[in-house]
Amino acid sequence: MKERQFPRARLNCLSREFGKEVLVYDLQRDVGHCLNSTAAATWKLCDGNNSPSQITRTLSRQLSARVDESVVRLALDLLANANLLVEPKVPVEYLSRRVAVRRIGIAAAIALPLVTSIVAPMPAQAASCLHNNQPCANSAMCCSGVCVPIVGRCLGG
Amino acid sequence: MKKLDRLDWAEGLTLSTFGVRAGVRVNVLGVLPRVLPLLPPGWKKSHRVIVERLYSLVVAQGCERAGVRRLHLLYADSTRIARDAALNRVLATLETDLHRYTAEATSDMTFLHAGVVGWQGSAIMFPGPSLSGKTTLVREMLRLGATYYSDEFAVVDSSGLVHPFARPLGIREDSSYAQTKYSAEELGATSGVKPLPMGMAVICKYEAGARWQPAPLSQGQGALELLTNSVAVRSQPDQTLRRLQKLVRHTIFIQGTRDEAHKAAASILNLSCAHK
Repeated sequence: MKERQFPRARLNCLSREFGKEVLVYDLQRDVGHCLNSTAAATWKLCDGNNSPSQITRTLSRQLSARVDESVVRLALDLLANANLLVEPKVPVEYLSRRVAVRRIGIAAAIALPLVTSIVAPMPAQAASCLHNNQPCANSAMCCSGVCVPIVGRCLGG
Repeated sequence: MKKLDRLDWAEGLTLSTFGVRAGVRVNVLGVLPRVLPLLPPGWKKSHRVIVERLYSLVVAQGCERAGVRRLHLLYADSTRIARDAALNRVLATLETDLHRYTAEATSDMTFLHAGVVGWQGSAIMFPGPSLSGKTTLVREMLRLGATYYSDEFAVVDSSGLVHPFARPLGIREDSSYAQTKYSAEELGATSGVKPLPMGMAVICKYEAGARWQPAPLSQGQGALELLTNSVAVRSQPDQTLRRLQKLVRHTIFIQGTRDEAHKAAASILNLSCAHK
């Protein structure tokens, strides 16, 4: 129950600030996340000692704007979905984005939290691949992802 | 590897590129000069004997006979990575693998899969996967007076500056995937020499009939796009993030869908000028 009430950010992640946003790299899953300013501010406050309502109050103070707790709950939901929080033992009652937007209203004082994620590429994916009929040793080398082993050539792509 | 070592090797060389040492050996005299133009730009001969990756090119010799195909073989260390009757295709695999290995293994630089040109003292970058139209866009930018940096990799140092990786442009001139190589000079452009700060990154994809209406992208979202195209992010995540942070300090990011490259290229250069 503690994790549910006092969310805690996972430790084995690297993070760097890019303006008001934060890029987080999950070393365990090799996934990169971009947290917008609201999601980043919420994530930084997830130290295992702050409850969602405390995070809401601190955020309001930091941003000098009234922050609805629904915003924080939505941010926590997104962060949990991105595996950036220590996994709760009891499933958290999440707030869907649609419900949150309805509750918060369109005139929110701060940006709605947003977490964008990508799977880090394998080296072969982040370089030009081999095209149709070029010799290959394994499927990862081919743009099509298909290396025909008998002939040792890429099929398609 | 021992079996390979026992073959008669006619010639070979050890090269150093971006702090990575690799070796190439061939079993037939006269083939090595065909390998040299395929080596990474800026490579230097090394006198060290120990290399991190050794390519062994076994060129098929003798006449073709009925029922017997003479195949050229290429090994990276002890793994066979190509087996083909056409030597040029095997050499293309050698080039791709060596460039990719260098990009992955170097810790001196961070390699991003992107086309790069220089324009008025800063770099314009086009990150994207294969077949996303990087080379086409780079070629158009060169036509408009930009300086050539790379059509394959943006090479970023620890200060966040972009270095040239000016290998010949691989241009696909028909619907086949075969590329014809042209140097920047053959296309009437010049190749960049000194490292540049990045001014703009353009995330775009080709779509027939699309209208080029680029939209701005935040610095974080842009950096995430660059992360998607980082070759060694899995093995060097901390270094990659640190260098990306420095790289994008003064960068504006735009994204959109383009049709013909020449329309987008002119617009990108105008936007870049307006940004300055």
